[in-house]
Amino acid sequence: MVNTPDKVSPLADLAMPNRPAGRQPQVELSERLCDSLVQVQAWPGTMAKVHKAISDVTGTRPAKGHAAALKGPVCIMPAGPGRYLIEDETENLEIRLRAAIGAHLGAVTGLTHGRVVVAIRGEKAAWVLASGIAINFDPSAFPVGDVRLTHHHDIGVTIHRTAEDAFDLYVFTSFARGFWHWISTAAEEVGYSVG
Amino acid sequence: MRITCPWCGERDHQEFTYRGDAAAKRPAMSDESIEAHQAYVYDRENPDGAHRELWNHTGGCRKHLVVTRNTLTHQITLCEPIGPWAKRLKAAAK
Repeated sequence: MVNTPDKVSPLADLAMPNRPAGRQPQVELSERLCDSLVQVQAWPGTMAKVHKAISDVTGTRPAKGHAAALKGPVCIMPAGPGRYLIEDETENLEIRLRAAIGAHLGAVTGLTHGRVVVAIRGEKAAWVLASGIAINFDPSAFPVGDVRLTHHHDIGVTIHRTAEDAFDLYVFTSFARGFWHWISTAAEEVGYSVG
Repeated sequence: MRITCPWCGERDHQEFTYRGDAAAKRPAMSDESIEAHQAYVYDRENPDGAHRELWNHTGGCRKHLVVTRNTLTHQITLCEPIGPWAKRLKAAAK
């Protein structure tokens, strides 16, 4: 549940901490605060310079392949060729990235208010997600630390596997209530709590 | 039907959006022939067998690719990245 003066969560009246009676919860759902979320898209010939600019601003470089790069509160997630979703605790991340990455290097887009992060954790987390998202959640195909871009029906979702039994799901703010309705309904079968 | 995106890997085709016949060639803008432009916009072959077509991975990396699909069996034999990132994607796939 996230409510700050300038950011009102669409899940404010849904993601209320509770514990359904009569069943031992096997997953925990929660909404995680996302202070700054920025998308950076490099142009095809400027990736090296954009990587350096990201490193200068955040203190870490994008990882190779589909792995997220983590350093303290900074998380750099690959979101396509030359495209990254960067999360940080500081609220001026977009301003600093925009200053470091001019239009000649790439495009910087603030998504802080455009995404909601739903976290799911627990022994049955992958099982719950697999009931509605058609990607392979086996750790051999989707290892810890990796990021996948996919959708649940028509709701786009970026999935970061933070542990073998934990995932952060970045969904569009305007679809967050529908997504929460689905994931909480899917989790009812195994029992869930809201943290 | 499963499509292997060069960036995201194998996914269900519902993540993709069909963008049309990849074989259609746009006439030069200097070509003033109405017939040529009309043929480009409207005229399509209806082949039975291998067909090259444009798909966009709208539910993933949002990149375009050319998919070679058998129109009789839906068997997909080739997925090629196109556009300015194609060279890098092909190199990464090796």
